[in-house]
Amino acid sequence: MSWDGSAARQTGALAWRSVVTTVRLPQAWVPALFFPLVLMAIFTASFGGAPGNIPGFPPVRSFLDFAVSGAIVQGVLIGGTTAGAAFATDIEGGFFDRLVASPVSRTAILTGRLGASVVLGIAQALLFVGIAELFGADVAGGPGGFMVLLLITALFAVAVGGLGVFLALRFGSAEAVQGMFPLFFALLFFSSAFFPRETMTGWFRTAADWNPISHLVEAMRDEVVGGAEPGTVIAGVAIALTLAVLAVGASALAFRRRLREAP
Amino acid sequence: MVAIPSRVVTALAVETRDLVREYKGGVRAVNGVSLAVASGEVYGFLGPNGAGKSTTVRMLCTLLRPTAGWAKVAGHDVARDAAAVRRSIGVALQDAAIDPYMTGRELLRLQGVLHGLSRQGCRDRADVLLDRVGLVDAADRRVGTYSGGMRRRLDLALALVHEPVVLFLDEPTTGLDPLSRVTLWDEVRRLNTELGTTVFLTTQYLEEADQLVDRLGIIDDGRIVAEGTPRELKAQVGDPTLAVTPVRAEDRARAREVLSGFGPEVLGAHGCVAVRLAAGAEGLAAVVRAMDDAGVAVREIDLAEPSLDDVFLAATGRHLEGDEAPAPAGPAPAASR
Amino acid sequence: MQRTLTVSLGLAGRNLLLVRRVPSVFIPSLVMPLFILIATAGAFRGIAALPEFAGESYLAFTIPMAATMGAGFAGINSGMTLARDLEGGFFSRLQSSPAPRLALVLGPIGAALVRSAFTTTVVFIAGGIGSVGLPGLWGTLTVYGLAMAFAAITSCWAIGVALRAKSVQAAPLMQVVVFLSVFTSVAYVPQDALTGWLSRVSEWNPVTYILNASRSAELTGTIVWSETWPGLVAAGILLVVLGAFALRPLFHLER
Repeated sequence: MSWDGSAARQTGALAWRSVVTTVRLPQAWVPALFFPLVLMAIFTASFGGAPGNIPGFPPVRSFLDFAVSGAIVQGVLIGGTTAGAAFATDIEGGFFDRLVASPVSRTAILTGRLGASVVLGIAQALLFVGIAELFGADVAGGPGGFMVLLLITALFAVAVGGLGVFLALRFGSAEAVQGMFPLFFALLFFSSAFFPRETMTGWFRTAADWNPISHLVEAMRDEVVGGAEPGTVIAGVAIALTLAVLAVGASALAFRRRLREAP
Repeated sequence: MVAIPSRVVTALAVETRDLVREYKGGVRAVNGVSLAVASGEVYGFLGPNGAGKSTTVRMLCTLLRPTAGWAKVAGHDVARDAAAVRRSIGVALQDAAIDPYMTGRELLRLQGVLHGLSRQGCRDRADVLLDRVGLVDAADRRVGTYSGGMRRRLDLALALVHEPVVLFLDEPTTGLDPLSRVTLWDEVRRLNTELGTTVFLTTQYLEEADQLVDRLGIIDDGRIVAEGTPRELKAQVGDPTLAVTPVRAEDRARAREVLSGFGPEVLGAHGCVAVRLAAGAEGLAAVVRAMDDAGVAVREIDLAEPSLDDVFLAATGRHLEGDEAPAPAGPAPAASR
Repeated sequence: MQRTLTVSLGLAGRNLLLVRRVPSVFIPSLVMPLFILIATAGAFRGIAALPEFAGESYLAFTIPMAATMGAGFAGINSGMTLARDLEGGFFSRLQSSPAPRLALVLGPIGAALVRSAFTTTVVFIAGGIGSVGLPGLWGTLTVYGLAMAFAAITSCWAIGVALRAKSVQAAPLMQVVVFLSVFTSVAYVPQDALTGWLSRVSEWNPVTYILNASRSAELTGTIVWSETWPGLVAAGILLVVLGAFALRPLFHLER
């Protein structure tokens, strides 16, 4: 795999294609917006009494401030699964073979897809924070904090997108990629994405402690609710970066393997 | 518990008058079909895709309500007395709709329950029918593992659970290989002769229409454009084609001269002279004598009846099996013309 | 009447057979209610420290919700099976048979009832592992009964959608409405603890009263009539309305 000026342009073109096909297909983006927003609304209305009344609940202005980061992560997870499934559809439908058979840079096929995931993830984060602000939430960390939030979102989007690409390359079927979705969802719920770890007990608490999503969400959340500790933020960014690197590495390997089969 | 309907003896098994089915947007899939099928007959609908075959069958099976006109099956009106029609008919529709996760035996028993058979009745009937369509060995396998031909045979068995008076088969052999097709034809014929079941089938295959049906309706664009036994229909189109190939090429002029007395010349294959035999097949002997008298040594004489495709062509101005690629290897209609 | 029953049972049996034989249907139907129970009770257990809970165990509080959601999945699945049958043509076979029309709908509903009884049992067992015992005979029967009622309600909804759309494409509509009906009721906290829009919406949501009745049975172990009758009324109204919704298209299918 090589990288030069044309690869950058091709990446841009392929990313653009992925974004456009996502935007034009409502089934591809409606769930990624609808479910996180609805859950955020329901959790905020259900647990509005929690801050200040529950022992161990971190000091927040409102539950909405607390909830928005979890919604972003959930949206990126759903969007990433859809993107992985779309990539698998490309493989099933022959678009992928057409790309491989063309002089398009091998790297661009991968980076194009991941670039699209980043664009869609950032757009989602902006939208969710914007909507939360309308209902009285506020990013206490200011512009700097907001940039951290977007950085983690982007890294996590690369991680989920890369995992989706990896699964698509390994199984080559959209159904198989979609089949992994419940697992992602379980990972999300067994974390502190929706409720603070401090209030959990027993094995569930242990699971949430070890769950990388907990640390991602907490780093983002600290930037929203304020009083971010450098340690939490660095840990969150580092975990997001590690996940992104692992996923991209795995997808690059799977890509190379698939190409070797059909040189 | 409702008993299996006794064999109602009516003169007409299926009767329709000016039957119309209009879909949203005013498209008339069926546009004034009137037909009568006698009890014990095998009646076929021949026509291309979209001609209105399936829509007609769906109306006769009480799955669609006619927009205008009426239809009676086994003496019952399909719109007013749908329940009685359903008790009298067996249905195997085009998309052989069978659960891949159930076994053949389970599906047959379920069908028995639908028709109100007793538990023991369901079991016995399933055994009889599995044997009848040759699926005893595959009875307890999931349908998902069946071949196309086995599915169609199971579909047929399902339609027979309650010993129907009229059997509807919508394109029963579409997509089947030639061998499976012949097996299914044999089964349908056996049902008709042994049990006297009236069969109403649709097909887009000339050979199927030729081999299987007693009487045929050619349907195009929602209307019946020709009706009769295959033989009658072919006779209506015109005389058989006679092609004579002389042993010596230089005799062709003489042969042409002789043949011109028997009918108008038509374009024949290379090396032969062909005419439409005005006297019909019975005129063959006279031709042979005339050739002999003229001293033309003949290597080959080929008498070809008009095919159903010719009938279709005469009625609609189009060939039936032009764009329908997967047509079976039937009597090749163009070979001797 | 007896024929309707026989045919309904036959069709319900077929539905259940399919559930058993298709792992991609069977496993979610087992796992989803369990997942909802464990994830909800694990993640949000801290909320039970609110005064509105009066010291109840959050796991016990969640059991009726998980049983109800499991019943909802069972109902959705009946609609999905019917939609697939309509799309694939199996339904034409049923339709052209003399089977009583009512049975074509009662069969799938019956299958949903059986499945919801199964998922409720699974939820109770999971609760037992988390050391929440059965809420006495009447309490247990009430939880079962209301879950099965909700399965009948949701299968009526899903069947009605399936008969109109005649396509599996309608699946999201079946699912989203059932999910939202539960989540916009009192899924996570008692009604007094709800704030903002949800406190008003849940008041008008009939599922709130079904959940309240089931919860009262689970938490008190008896039937507290003042908590139970609104649930029965809500379930009855939903059954009548959605039952009509499911049955109406059945008699106009040939149109």
